[in-house]
Amino acid sequence: MILEVKNIKKSFGEAEILHNISFTVQSGRAFGLLGRNGAGKTTTIRILMGVFNANEGDILLDGIPFDQTKYKIGYLPEERGLYPKKPVIEQLVYLGQLRGLKKAEALKNSIYWLERLGVIEYKKRKLETLSKGNQQKIQLASTLVSNPDLIILDEPFSGLDPVNSQLLKDVVQELIDINKLVIFSSHQMSYVEEFCDDILIMNQGEVAILGCLNQIKKDFGHNRLFVSSTNYTHQNLKEFMQSNFSENVKVEAILKKGIIIELLNNTSKKELLNLLLKTDIDIDTFQMYEPSLNDIFVDKAGDK
Amino acid sequence: MKQFFTVFKFELLHYFKNKAYIITTSILCVVAVIGLSVPTILDLFGFGEDKEPTGPSSSETSDFDTYGVITNDIIDLNDPSLTIYFPSINFIEYTSPDLLNEDVISETIEAGFVIESDFEYQYLVKNSSMHDPLVSKFSNYLKHNYQLVTFESLNIDSDKVFEVLNTKVSSETIVLGKDSVNNYMYTYILIMMLYFMVIFYGQMIATGVASEKSNRAIEVLVTSAKPNNLIFGKVFAGALAGIIQFGAIIGFSYISYEINSAAWNNGLDMIFHIPLDAILSFAVFGLLGYLFYSFIFGALGALASKTEDINTSAMPITLIFVGAFLVVMAGMNDPTGSLLTIASYIPFSSFMAMFVRVAMTDVSMVEVIISLVILVLSTGLIGIIAAKIYRQGTLRYGNPLKLKDAFKMLKSKD
Repeated sequence: MILEVKNIKKSFGEAEILHNISFTVQSGRAFGLLGRNGAGKTTTIRILMGVFNANEGDILLDGIPFDQTKYKIGYLPEERGLYPKKPVIEQLVYLGQLRGLKKAEALKNSIYWLERLGVIEYKKRKLETLSKGNQQKIQLASTLVSNPDLIILDEPFSGLDPVNSQLLKDVVQELIDINKLVIFSSHQMSYVEEFCDDILIMNQGEVAILGCLNQIKKDFGHNRLFVSSTNYTHQNLKEFMQSNFSENVKVEAILKKGIIIELLNNTSKKELLNLLLKTDIDIDTFQMYEPSLNDIFVDKAGDK
Repeated sequence: MKQFFTVFKFELLHYFKNKAYIITTSILCVVAVIGLSVPTILDLFGFGEDKEPTGPSSSETSDFDTYGVITNDIIDLNDPSLTIYFPSINFIEYTSPDLLNEDVISETIEAGFVIESDFEYQYLVKNSSMHDPLVSKFSNYLKHNYQLVTFESLNIDSDKVFEVLNTKVSSETIVLGKDSVNNYMYTYILIMMLYFMVIFYGQMIATGVASEKSNRAIEVLVTSAKPNNLIFGKVFAGALAGIIQFGAIIGFSYISYEINSAAWNNGLDMIFHIPLDAILSFAVFGLLGYLFYSFIFGALGALASKTEDINTSAMPITLIFVGAFLVVMAGMNDPTGSLLTIASYIPFSSFMAMFVRVAMTDVSMVEVIISLVILVLSTGLIGIIAAKIYRQGTLRYGNPLKLKDAFKMLKSKD
């Protein structure tokens, strides 16, 4: 399945919140929807689920307009919430039925997910009596109980300990492997890097960057090198580069383990390496720079 | 539709599993059954039967209260009619006003009378009470005494005069339309029930919606089901829960009364034997009005972010409802008046007002149908508006939304 979002615009009153948002999500490839608080992620998600209507734009599934009522959508909201005073199993079955399952099927799926997530012993307990981590698992079970075609996970890892995080990672990977459409929204970049093949970084209601994560990293690192030396401090190395090779390179940043430089005036890596070899610099690292998702996020969504 | 029934069933079970609901309903039913069985229970233990006198009682004289009188020879304390007027009072003749005062103060006697002329007397009492029937009784006796004496002096047969004066006129009222006196009682009770149902369940529905908002269950709900199904399911479940609760209380009361009606000497027939047209109009108008307000309360619940905010959000509609209730209650004293007639067409009050009119007066079918159509359309419209406010309000947090904002939201196409 391919979900295409095309030129979505959304206004609340006078204020336009989303300006021409477009992206594509493919089943079997997890999609990371990123952005700072207030960037428009939740509004985009709500439009996808049909809670709000877009003012302009289309949402297509396999080329035809996406009718949310014909597909099951599993949504794990960032603001978790179920009925605190009701037994776990009762609310899972209810939500399964609301999303179109028959009672027996909803019960079967509920039990499957409670077992899979290791919380089956709490099925008759009231939700409010469970620990935060277990409530989180129940919330995930409620998201998946209807066997959804499209799964939207908003900050799924918040509040989980490392063991439970690993369990959730396995579950998410399984969902991706069985060709589900998975949209993943999080501020924890390491998880996004781990799962997502494609990302969209939103900034103030606009697309800041969109595409395949590996390609984005390559493009972002294009013409940039990471260099370090054993006999120069990073600061000295920077100053040396600026005074001797200012026509060939520009020093962009000093990192903990070295400096990032950008090649100028069509200088090739080989030419720069030859130049450096003629100096007294004892090169420790000389490699293509590959930015982390965090670097890309700060660059694209940070305050300029 | 399936979604609606899923919500409806879930919400209805929520009421049925609610301990407060079960306990309140059970207690009220038990109280109704026991309350209506009291005469039978009393009969069973012999409390209700008239006791036969068991011979002359020596206590009869000892139960007499003693009063002092300075007669000034205007009345005769041996006059038999004095005993008729005051069967349980023993009058003692005093001559000295000071002694009479002393005995009243020392409570040797209950009180004292100083008769000054045929038309004047003083009543001496230590502590006066709000309602002392003795004063008017004694005045009547003096008047009677004066009349007798005067008739005698004029050689008129006093018995004849009193016979003429006391001629009784008998009458019988044949009600050809509605007997608003007899119908007042059940109309009053049913209107009170409607009032409590709307207030109780309206608040419960509003609280239910607001608590889903405050615990954020709404995030999952509105993305799992259509908002219309959610609010309609909730309101109809609340309505049915209310009807079942009040139905159970009425049912148990009715059965209990039917079993015990002999012990009541059919004295409560005017409450329990309600004509069919009144019952039908109560059921139809009551249900619609109840739904009308339930939708409003549901929408108001969506405007609040926390359950604590409900009182603020629901205040205007509660005031309107209480106002409508007071208008209808006032109108019950004049069921054919224009106040009740106007109120019977306004949907905020018509469900109570039209029922009162049907129960207590003759209303033409056309009027009933017009009122019903207005109420049905308004309830439908309010339902649609409530669903829209619910959809818009549920995902907005922060300060409680005002009605003004809610109406603005109605215009948006979100």
